[in-house]
Amino acid sequence: MDIKKVLFELSEKDCIGHVKDAYEAALEVLSRYAEIKTASDSGIIGFIKGKSDYTVLLDAHIDQVGMIVTDVDSEGFLSLSNSGGIDIRALPARQVTVHGKTKIPAVFCSTPPHLAKGETEYTDISKIKLDTGLGVKAKDIVSVGDYVTFSEKPAFLAGDFVAGRSFDDRSAVAVLLEVAERLSGKELPCNVEILLSGGEELGMRGAKASAFIAAPNEAIAVDVSFGNAPGISEDECGVLGKGPMIGISPVLDRKMSDRLIAVAKENGINYQLEAMGGRTGTNADVISVSRGGVKTCTVSIPLRNMHTENEVLSISDLYSVCDLLEKYILSGGLLNA
Amino acid sequence: MLEILKELCALDGVSGEEDAVREYIINKIKGHCEYRVDPLGSIIAFKKGKNRSVKKVMLDAHTDEVGLIITSVTEDGFLKFAAVGGIDTAVLMFRRVRIGNINGVIGGKPIHLMSGDEKKKLPKPDSLYIDIGASSKDEALELVRIGDRAVICGEYTEMGNKIKAKAIDDRAGCAILISLLTSDSDYDFYATFSVQEEVGLRGAKAAAFTVEPESAIVLEATTAADIADVPDGQRVCVLGDGPAVSFMDRAAVYDRNYYNAALSSGIKCQPKAAVAGGNNSGEIHLSRGGVRTLAISVPCRYIHSPSCVACKEDIENAAKLAKYMLNGICSGSIE
Repeated sequence: MDIKKVLFELSEKDCIGHVKDAYEAALEVLSRYAEIKTASDSGIIGFIKGKSDYTVLLDAHIDQVGMIVTDVDSEGFLSLSNSGGIDIRALPARQVTVHGKTKIPAVFCSTPPHLAKGETEYTDISKIKLDTGLGVKAKDIVSVGDYVTFSEKPAFLAGDFVAGRSFDDRSAVAVLLEVAERLSGKELPCNVEILLSGGEELGMRGAKASAFIAAPNEAIAVDVSFGNAPGISEDECGVLGKGPMIGISPVLDRKMSDRLIAVAKENGINYQLEAMGGRTGTNADVISVSRGGVKTCTVSIPLRNMHTENEVLSISDLYSVCDLLEKYILSGGLLNA
Repeated sequence: MLEILKELCALDGVSGEEDAVREYIINKIKGHCEYRVDPLGSIIAFKKGKNRSVKKVMLDAHTDEVGLIITSVTEDGFLKFAAVGGIDTAVLMFRRVRIGNINGVIGGKPIHLMSGDEKKKLPKPDSLYIDIGASSKDEALELVRIGDRAVICGEYTEMGNKIKAKAIDDRAGCAILISLLTSDSDYDFYATFSVQEEVGLRGAKAAAFTVEPESAIVLEATTAADIADVPDGQRVCVLGDGPAVSFMDRAAVYDRNYYNAALSSGIKCQPKAAVAGGNNSGEIHLSRGGVRTLAISVPCRYIHSPSCVACKEDIENAAKLAKYMLNGICSGSIE
C-alpha cells in the first residue's frame, strides 16, 4: 500500500455527519485485509484472527472537524455552527465546500477594508457568514443542517512533509489500513480489531459504542498530537520526523507504554514520549473505561496546525507508527507480559 | 476573455516579480500591436486603429498582485515574511502559499493550546511564519532565498454566475486590455500593463510619464461590500450591477465629464458609492501637467484575498464600457 496515496485520497474525501465518502473509501480498503464485523455510524470494526483468544484493538477516528448550516438569510448568506473545534479567526475569505443537495464551493465573508474598525474580536462563528455566490438561489441547494467542510487539497512540502486537511485523523486511518495489510495472512499471537471510529470530534461518541461491541483485552488509540512549531513550547509538543509519540498518563496503562517503548527500542524504531497529566483528549479516554475497563495506551503522530485546512506532518512518522504497531502486535502486546 | 482571465489569475505575480504575467501578456498581444517593456517591467503597447484619435488616450491595468516577501529564516527552518500590499492577518492564517515551485503553509498555534482571550484576537502579523517542511535554516536556504516572493494560493472556481480566484485584482483589467488590443480598434490608443500598483502605484507613475497621455482610462477591480450584514449605504458597489465608475477615492479626483458620460452610456454600470481605496489613477491623473482620468472597476468581494469573487457579466460590461469610452474620447463625441 502506498501510504501517501491513501492519505491523500482520504484527505480529499469527507466524513462528517451523513457525509461519508471517506468512511466508504476506508471501509472498502479495510475489507480487503480484515473481516468486517460491524459498520455503523459509531465506526467500522475489522477483525483479523490470531492464534489465541486475546484481542488487541487499534483505533483511529474516521470523522473530522467541520461546520453545519444553522440559517440561510434573505439574501442567501449562510450562518454556521462549528462541529468540533474550529479556529474562527482563520475563516474570513476562506473557500469551503457546502454539502447541500449537490456539493458547492463557498467563501466566508471578510470585512471590507473601508469598514474595518480597529481590532476585531472573534467570538462567535455565527457572525462570519458564508457566501455561495448564488444569492437567494442558495436556498434551492442548501438547507439548515447541511455540513460544510474545508476544501484545501493535499500537497507535498519539502522533504517528506505533507500539508492538507483532515490529516487529523485520516493519517492514523491510513496507518491502520497499512498495518491491516501487513498483518493479514500472517500467523498472529493474538486477534486484532481495527476500529475506524466515528464522532470523535463530538465527544468520542463512536469509540464509546464501538469499544463496547469490540470488547478487546487491550487497546491503542492512534491519533495526532501537537507538532513542534514557533510559539509552542517544547513540553507541549512532539517533533515532526522523530517518530511516534508514545503516551504516558494516569488514564493509560503504564505496562503498555513500557511495552511499546521496549518494542520500539528492540526494532530500532524512532519514538518520543508524550506525558500527560490526566485525560489524553483521544479515544483512549473512553475506550479505557469501556465495559469493565480496558488496558489502553496512545500512540500519536506529531502534527502542526491541528484542525485547520493545512495540517502538516512527516510521512516518515507514519511509517514509524506502522512499524511500531506491527511489531507490537507480532510480539503479542501484553499477552505474554 | 474569461478563459484568458482564468489563466492570468493562475500566474504568480507578486509586486516586483510580475515576470510570468508580463510574458503571458506579451505572448497574447504580440502581432496585434507595437509594444515595449519599460525599465520597471511595465508593458507599454500602442494599438493602431482605423482612424486617428483626437486625443492621446492611455488605458491602464496593473499586472501585480498582493502577496508576501521572505525576510529571514529561523534556525529551525521557518520563514519569516513581510506583506507586499495590504492583507488582513485573518486571511493569512493557515493558508497554502507557493514560493516558486516550493509549497508552504502559514503556520500557527492550534486552538487547543490557546487561552480563551488568545482565541478571540488575531495573532500579531510578525508572529506568523511559513513552514516549507525544512528542519533547519540551511535546509530552508537550499530551497528559497531571502527576498523571494510567496504567492497566496487560491484556485479558480466557478460559483454560479460568479468566479472565485486569487488576483482578480487586477488580472480582470489585464484580460480586458488584452481583448481590446487583440481585436480591431476604431482608433489609435496606448495601453499600459503596469507593475507595482500594490506597493504605491509605482509602475503607472513611470509609464504615464513615458506615454504622456491627455486622457486615461484605468481598468481595475474594487471592493464590493454587498455581503451579509452590511447595510445598503455601505456596500460601495454590488455584484451584477455592472462595473463601478469612480467620482473620487483616496488617491484621485476623477474627470466629471467622463464620469457622467460613463453613467449615461446605456451600458449597465454603477457609481462607486464610497470615497475609499485608490488605484493607478492616483498617479496617472497627476502625471506631468495633469491627465483627465476615468476608472472603470470590476466589483470584487473579498479583494486582497486569494478568494476574490466577481460576477462574469460585470467583467463583460467593464470591457464594453471601456471600449465605449475609448471610442467616445478618441472620436471627440465625449468631451
